[in-house]
Amino acid sequence: MTKKDSSIDPKSFLIVGAVITLLLVLVIIVGMFWTPYSPTAMKYGRFQSPSWNHIFGTDNFGRDIFSRIVKGAGNTLVIALSTVIIGAAGGILIGSLTGYFGGAVDVVLMRVNDALTAFPSFLLALLIVSLVGPGSKYSVVLALGLVFIPSFARVTRSEFASLRSRNFVTGARLTGAGHARIIFVYLLPNTGRVLLPALTIGFNNAVLAEASMSFLGIGVTPPDSSLGYMLSEAQSMVSIAPWYALSTGLSIVLLVFGVGLIGEGLQARAKEVD
Amino acid sequence: MLVINDLHVRFNGREREAVGGISLSINDGEIVGLVGESGSGKTVTAMSIAGLLPRRQCTYSGDILLDGKDLLHAQRSELRKLHGKEIGVVFQEPMSSMDPLMKIGHQIGEVLRIHTDLSMSQIREKALEAMASVELKNPEQIYDCYPHELSGGMLQRCMIAAAIVIEPSLLLLDEPTTALDVTIQAQILELLKKLNARLGISMLLISHNLNVVRKLCSRIAVMKRGLIVEIGDTESVFLNPQHDYTKALIKAIPTRERRFG
Amino acid sequence: MNEVLLYVLKRLLILVLSMILVSFMTFGAFSLISGDPARTILGTEATEAQVRSLRHELGLDRPFMARYLSWLLGFFSGNLGVSFSYRQPVWELVGSKLMLSLSMSLLSFLMIILVAIPLGVFSYKATGKTMIWLRTIFNQLGMAIPPFFTGIVFSWIFGVLFRLFTPGDFKGFSVSFWPSFMHLFFGAVCLSIPRIAMTIRMMRSTVISEMNKAYVRTAISRGNDRRSVLSRHVLKNSLVSVISFLGQTLAELVCAGIVVEQVLGIPGVGRFLVTSILHRDYPVVQTIVVILTFWVVFASFIADIINQVLDPRLRRGQT
Repeated sequence: MTKKDSSIDPKSFLIVGAVITLLLVLVIIVGMFWTPYSPTAMKYGRFQSPSWNHIFGTDNFGRDIFSRIVKGAGNTLVIALSTVIIGAAGGILIGSLTGYFGGAVDVVLMRVNDALTAFPSFLLALLIVSLVGPGSKYSVVLALGLVFIPSFARVTRSEFASLRSRNFVTGARLTGAGHARIIFVYLLPNTGRVLLPALTIGFNNAVLAEASMSFLGIGVTPPDSSLGYMLSEAQSMVSIAPWYALSTGLSIVLLVFGVGLIGEGLQARAKEVD
Repeated sequence: MLVINDLHVRFNGREREAVGGISLSINDGEIVGLVGESGSGKTVTAMSIAGLLPRRQCTYSGDILLDGKDLLHAQRSELRKLHGKEIGVVFQEPMSSMDPLMKIGHQIGEVLRIHTDLSMSQIREKALEAMASVELKNPEQIYDCYPHELSGGMLQRCMIAAAIVIEPSLLLLDEPTTALDVTIQAQILELLKKLNARLGISMLLISHNLNVVRKLCSRIAVMKRGLIVEIGDTESVFLNPQHDYTKALIKAIPTRERRFG
Repeated sequence: MNEVLLYVLKRLLILVLSMILVSFMTFGAFSLISGDPARTILGTEATEAQVRSLRHELGLDRPFMARYLSWLLGFFSGNLGVSFSYRQPVWELVGSKLMLSLSMSLLSFLMIILVAIPLGVFSYKATGKTMIWLRTIFNQLGMAIPPFFTGIVFSWIFGVLFRLFTPGDFKGFSVSFWPSFMHLFFGAVCLSIPRIAMTIRMMRSTVISEMNKAYVRTAISRGNDRRSVLSRHVLKNSLVSVISFLGQTLAELVCAGIVVEQVLGIPGVGRFLVTSILHRDYPVVQTIVVILTFWVVFASFIADIINQVLDPRLRRGQT
């Protein structure tokens, strides 16, 4: 009966998600060079409620919230992307090597990996941050990146382990292809089916985890800003300026929602191929 | 007893009918074989009789009558009263056809729980009887086992016990021996023969294996591409096949088996 | 049942071993990074002699294994060391906070099970085009809403607008029961939302894959209707695959609760962990981390035991 589900083309999730995400990313990229108001200028009147001039209103210092969100979201995006890149690169490297070569190293590494993935990643990330030194975006990227490695390693490994004995790989080996060539040319492209959805999930986890940490004050701290940090600011003035918290929070929700839809579409498509 | 009259089944989105108008009847106490390769429509026919056809995903017409009761067009709720009680089904893969988390005894007694008002202890009693009648060695012990603890042959006996515990008038056997070893196949066929003689249950045996059908059935129908191409007494079909397809099927049986089967 | 008991004992042994391993690793990591706690406590102006005497007082001059063992023994006898910044026994600081955090997690876990499992089971039928869209949107939205954001919104709506409780003003159950309960309740709701979405999704896909299995066809051929197929066969089979997921959820809830405690001003162990990290109060951080890890290990222990009871296939080959 799973077949019935495909009465909706998974592409439609993909398209809707991609449209939302691309729009947000576009705004963020434009925001890196130009925002309607200066995000740091404190001259637009304190606690202005949303209006045509300031669509998200202004904060306690009279700064334009929309411009601040665009800037903060830029930081959030960069942090989340760097995190996913570290996690995915490390995880794919470890996973492909252990999955391809197998053996004792594989067994041991995967045991360690299982133990790590069973561990709440947020706690692990908190620990690393507390070891490296809290309150900097670099420790956040490092901590979250490290924490994401095991899950990527696991996904990659299981794909590699199931692919390596397939006919096309054996064929490649018979024609004299070396290990590196087999891994990069024959195997890696075929893991995209499962790795792409994993990347979207990883990105979303990174956005949420970074926001949580900055919210707690151990992530991004001023003068840097991120959506999570802004929310912690917004919380203290929620009774006076609820629009601040709402607009910041909903921006996070929208970003994660858009990427989540992309992931949903990718997953559905991967299932269809099976 | 069972009468199939001009049955058509076509799955949505398919050009060809899975079953293209077949008629077949089974008399009381008779064992009829339905033979054909995969895709010939034999399983779809069986599913239509058992009411397991995914009705929303296909169109169908014709009649299937069991002792005069309509099996094809009846409401689901009406059909449910017949499932299990009047028609028992034995499927191909005993291991996956059983609930892995339910004790064998409870699965055998399930039909009684659904269709009768017997007490728990009476159900247990009946289930043990049925298990004994399919020649399981320690019914008491097996009663509390889970499917993964039994062999394929034992499980298939349990499936048969579950199908006959309520003494239905028709037993539908969908490739009941295909997943089993050859020696166990023979034992199961022997058992089915005995049950037929003792209880007088009519059976419809569906198989791609002519040899199996020959051992058990008094009459066989050969299906190809949704149609019955030949029907008749087993021996006359075997000794004097009319249709080319039947001839080919018989030819495909290894000679040794043909001679000694 | 004997097999189950044996399994429990065996699993209990693993539980204790992994707890020891985890505590050792944490202790080691913290010994490495905490540098010289005596120096940290006394500040830069202390003389070398003062530092040395405090180091002796705290037992820091003993070898690593000796320190670890005495810390471990202390851990199980309730003597968890002294907080750097509060100069108080850690257990006094952590004990009641821990209970608070665990209660909130359990409350949230209860909500997840009560809401997500029935919804997951019944949503398997939702296959129409609109239903799929609605389901997907709600699911993805649910997973996209961070608990600290819901926390802020709730404290604004229910705290500021409706005045049901005053977020941040947590007096404790003995002083004022309902406002304290409101804190925990709304905290639990915030925690639940994303996880309810995840669990529904998980449950739904499990039920669908179980519904396609051959034993369901057998059950229908016996005269079961859809409902009894679900309740007698599919539900139990689905739960078996969801239990470990739920176990992990239970483990993660305490950690996810850290942020919620911060938002609603619940003086739980998570909030304490964050302040201790910021103050570099390593004895406290270390203790809380070990406790939370024990909780994680314990949750997976419980999940394994439940699976063992539910699934007879797992009992095979256990000695």
